Amino acid sequence: MSLSIEKKYRQDLNVWNVKISGEVDIYTSDKMKETLNEMVEEKNTEIQIDCTNLSYIDSSGLGVLIGVLKKLKEEKNNLVILNARSNIVKLLSITGLDKVFILREN
Amino acid sequence: MKGENMCAYNKTIGLDKSNSGQESIVLSIPANPEYVSIVRMTASVIANSIGFDFEEIEDIKVAVSEACNNVVVHSKGLDNFEITFIKEKEKIGIEVKDNGAGFNFSDYSLPNLQNPADHGLGIFVIKSLMDRVEVKSSKDKGTEIKMYKNLL
Repeated sequence: MSLSIEKKYRQDLNVWNVKISGEVDIYTSDKMKETLNEMVEEKNTEIQIDCTNLSYIDSSGLGVLIGVLKKLKEEKNNLVILNARSNIVKLLSITGLDKVFILREN
Repeated sequence: MKGENMCAYNKTIGLDKSNSGQESIVLSIPANPEYVSIVRMTASVIANSIGFDFEEIEDIKVAVSEACNNVVVHSKGLDNFEITFIKEKEKIGIEVKDNGAGFNFSDYSLPNLQNPADHGLGIFVIKSLMDRVEVKSSKDKGTEIKMYKNLL
């Protein structure tokens, strides 16, 4: 399964909305890195990632998210992970990243 | 997928049924990020056939991918590496072996979860998700990661 990323800047809320679908692994994480970094360069503001359709992520993808969060934090912005599946929440909690990113359901 | 690589994959997939009730399945893939998903899919099918549930299968998929990621990252220029799945009645074993440069495992330290780095989480994740993990690595002899998970 491949990876697809949709992004949209919500001017009214000053937030990036991102939808990630498929698998983020060592092969596809570069694509995610590129897209998220472009967004931060265009506008460093809160990023909300909807993970409803994200079926898989491992440390290569988490590494990308940590890198992006570091850039966001330079401007005191957050990275919000929405609707992560239980297997992904488990991975975030094992690595302590559930305390670093903001996890939310909506 | 490139034809030559797929051919290598077909040639090296094998089933060895021994008297101990263990069956082993061996994959050989190029040390290239593109092929790690093949290992993950294979792990998923084998774990399912043993009887692991959805959550356990997801854990096994992440663990085996992390081991393959280590090989792909640390073995630049290496052609192929092997993944052996050992299927037992109530247990899965997975061995990931490369002949790369190896890394000094004593240099490995637990990641700082308060201030996470964007690398170095792999082994930690494998150890958290699997029941038993053995890592053997020596300079010039490559790295071998063996991991096991029991059916509860």
